[in-house]
Amino acid sequence: MKISERAFRAVGKPLARNEDLRLITGKGRFTDDFNLPGQLWAAMVRSPYPHARIRNVDGRVALQLPKVLAVYSGADCEADGLKEINHNPVPSTKYDLKLTGKDGGAVFIGKHTLLPTDRARYVGEAVAMVVAETREAALTGAENVMVGYEELPFVVGTVEATQPGAPILWDSQTDNILVDSSFGDAAATATAFAKAAHIVSDVFHIGRVTGVPLEPRAALGDYNSETGRYTLYAGSGGAVRQKHELAHVLGVEPKDVRVLSFDVGGNFGTRNRAYVEFGLVMWAARKLGRPVKFRADRSECFLTDYQGRDLVTEVSLAIDESGKFLAMRASNLSNVGARCVSLSPLSKGSGLITGSYNIPLATLRSRAVFSNTMPTQAYRSSGRPEVTFAIERLIDKAATQLNMDRFEIRRRNLVAPSQMPYRNAVGSTYDSGEYEINMDKLLRLADWQGAAARREDAKRRGKLLGIGFANYVESSIGTPKERADLIVSPEGIEVVIGTQPAGQGHETSFAQVTADLLGVPFERVKIILGDTDVVSAGGGTHSGRSMRHASAVIALASDDLVSKAKLLAAQIFHVAEGDVEFDDGVFKITGTNITTDWFDLAKRLKELQLEDFPGGLWVRRDNEMHTPVFPNGACMCEIEIDPETGGIEITRYATVDDVGRCINPLIVHGQTHGGIAQGVGQALWETCYIDPESGQPQNGSFMDYGMPRFNNLPFFKTEISEVLSPTNPFGVKAGGEGGTTPAPAVIMSAVENALAPLGITGVEMPATPAKIWAAIQKADRSALAEYI
Amino acid sequence: MTNIVLTVNGTQVLREVEDNIFLAYFLREQLGLTGTHVGCDTSQCGCCVVHVNGTSVKSCTMLAVQANSADVTTIEGLAKGDVLHPVQRAFKEHHGLQCGFCTPGMIMAAVDLINTYPKPLTAEIVRDEMEGNLCRCTGYHNIVKAILAAADEMRPVVTA
Ligand code: FES
Ligand code: FES
Repeated sequence: MKISERAFRAVGKPLARNEDLRLITGKGRFTDDFNLPGQLWAAMVRSPYPHARIRNVDGRVALQLPKVLAVYSGADCEADGLKEINHNPVPSTKYDLKLTGKDGGAVFIGKHTLLPTDRARYVGEAVAMVVAETREAALTGAENVMVGYEELPFVVGTVEATQPGAPILWDSQTDNILVDSSFGDAAATATAFAKAAHIVSDVFHIGRVTGVPLEPRAALGDYNSETGRYTLYAGSGGAVRQKHELAHVLGVEPKDVRVLSFDVGGNFGTRNRAYVEFGLVMWAARKLGRPVKFRADRSECFLTDYQGRDLVTEVSLAIDESGKFLAMRASNLSNVGARCVSLSPLSKGSGLITGSYNIPLATLRSRAVFSNTMPTQAYRSSGRPEVTFAIERLIDKAATQLNMDRFEIRRRNLVAPSQMPYRNAVGSTYDSGEYEINMDKLLRLADWQGAAARREDAKRRGKLLGIGFANYVESSIGTPKERADLIVSPEGIEVVIGTQPAGQGHETSFAQVTADLLGVPFERVKIILGDTDVVSAGGGTHSGRSMRHASAVIALASDDLVSKAKLLAAQIFHVAEGDVEFDDGVFKITGTNITTDWFDLAKRLKELQLEDFPGGLWVRRDNEMHTPVFPNGACMCEIEIDPETGGIEITRYATVDDVGRCINPLIVHGQTHGGIAQGVGQALWETCYIDPESGQPQNGSFMDYGMPRFNNLPFFKTEISEVLSPTNPFGVKAGGEGGTTPAPAVIMSAVENALAPLGITGVEMPATPAKIWAAIQKADRSALAEYI
Repeated sequence: MTNIVLTVNGTQVLREVEDNIFLAYFLREQLGLTGTHVGCDTSQCGCCVVHVNGTSVKSCTMLAVQANSADVTTIEGLAKGDVLHPVQRAFKEHHGLQCGFCTPGMIMAAVDLINTYPKPLTAEIVRDEMEGNLCRCTGYHNIVKAILAAADEMRPVVTA
């Protein structure tokens, strides 16, 4: 399919969004906005222990309380034949690195039943459910369920969980390690290391954070005993996926489950996997014959939303005397929590360990480990900020160690455009990109020239200025299949598609693409999402896949639709199909002055009811696209540290992001801003800290989880660079995650740069004022006095 | 249970409410005004901001009975028919929202800020004053722009 830019009237324009009107007037449809007549409420009984055997669940006291109708335990689920959630955690497109178990075999993932029968494996795990007439009664009931626990030894630390003698989470296993795979050419890498002039090594822990979508997760389940169908209202990253997974849990056909997911108040990966409460409310609705609703408190979200990151990476770089990178070694260890719901972070990161650089040889060991913590999942740019952090921080260290300029050492090693498509040392093939041009653009955008003067100025004010820099490359793969229905009516064109936005603006950018492909005004295209009775298939939204997959399948469907419309016009005007031409929204009958358009054709078809066109003028198209794309860019920031308090202010933040074709710059810039905030958040404030002594999570509310706020962020300078990807019709890569990917590296690079005059290195994320202040206290104060 | 009478978006309502129900849930669950959102349980996210007697209030932290005889405006009552409030318009034009969950509270808080702040607004002031509202999607960048743009439109330039 050839895309003609000549017809671009909507694509590339910063059009305001179609979804906004309902959201700014209070008419959004979020999960908790739905209520059904006669609805009951569910509350969860959650384990206070990180690891405990469940001896018994006694609901007798709770059942005596007013309005409490039922108490269910894991045994009840088992008795009813409920199955586990089949998360399918191992990424499996042709281009994902193949992760395996220790012996190269299948990965043991630990069954994810709705409620456990044997043990609780992390603090907050739901072990029983109470259903009552009101939410308050359900919560009171939950407090009165007596669970007989027998405490077990536990382990929460990522490295600790791998050690011999660590408590083992799953009886069938001999340790906690579920993945152990190696990639790359070990012998050649070893040789390169042996002859290297310099070796630079480090170990980083990219800590655990959580997504914090502002809409707390909620679910409303219903069961119709006449039709035998279940209905679930629940915001997610893809209603179609949830439908299939939950049908499996309930032991019914997918057609007997309808999932509705309209407006979703943020996702960031957190909502891409099914939650136990989703299955539980539907099951309880069948058992009790009334709809059942669940709504998590914010503290429940902090405890039991799927969490992110938690990767320990050991990296070494072999470098020759001129500063050229020869080889790399990495060993990455991902903490998946109590059971494995997704290996996407480990897998995504594994393919990108060499970053934006031409490193001819590499070996990588990728491992994953269970621990007594909430399971982790893909979180905003899954896996990529972690490996970007490792390579970029290591290069900063190399520059210091080799006494080279940190830009110069990067320039010397970047993958050049002439090397594209570039296959890196672990087998990922980068599609396109101009990495050094990104760097040059960024240095201009961030006014690198003026940095020295700003540093002097900061000094005069008693502040330590730090400049951070990072390049990045990331991959966007994602579920390979997508489906689109295009339906033409006299009023407009509807596109039914199986992605699931949570603020990314699909109703706008997909309409822009469709409008230009079909040559119709943008205003006449409507995107339909989120009800599995309408949207029959689709891969959901994750991994930056949606714009690329949607534009590709819509392009193919548009071709089909044009063919079909030509056939229709031929019948209507009694000419041969070959006599109908289509150009930019207009159908013309060759050799006549007859012209028509989409809406006229649909109107005539309605009147004529031609039997060759059952259901009207519409097409359904499926597409499968495996080839990944590699968005990339460069990022810079400046911070000022107050040495008296350890406080940090971000004074400048700029990025250049190659997103491939940008369909809507307004939306893409917005995605980048949000992505930056989340990456910066991890570097400076956010952490899901779990006390190793007690196994208790310490961050359960906005009082103790550091969020990016209005007054701790600056304005951002973001520039889009469009190097079209050759892998798909529009040349789309992906936008948004690029804000997050380099952010932790760039901030920590700035922190280190600011503290360099005091000889401070190795401050860990989140670099809170307390940590920085403490480091300054320990440092040589005379260096500070001399510097300021 | 207590009987309360109040005005919500210009309409008088009379309801019997439980003494411990918060205004946010009263609006959402009893009046069906689901535009007011609840994003936390510690009065920190600002998703629930409404106006009570013209002042912005976190409705998750105020009991419905405390709103007895008050005049309450929610996001649903901000536009005049089809004519959007300048702050609503600015949020759309400047892409000040993504998922839209924080948006009703943001807009209601911003309207109050613009209406009542005694000096001309700057980005810095907006950032400090709006600190009680959280957004996870936008990085705040476009929200600040939207508020400043709306302020320009709503407030005559103050000359010294
Ligand atoms: S709901 Fe969070 S402040 Fe009111
Ligand atoms: S737009 Fe999603 S939380 Fe603000």
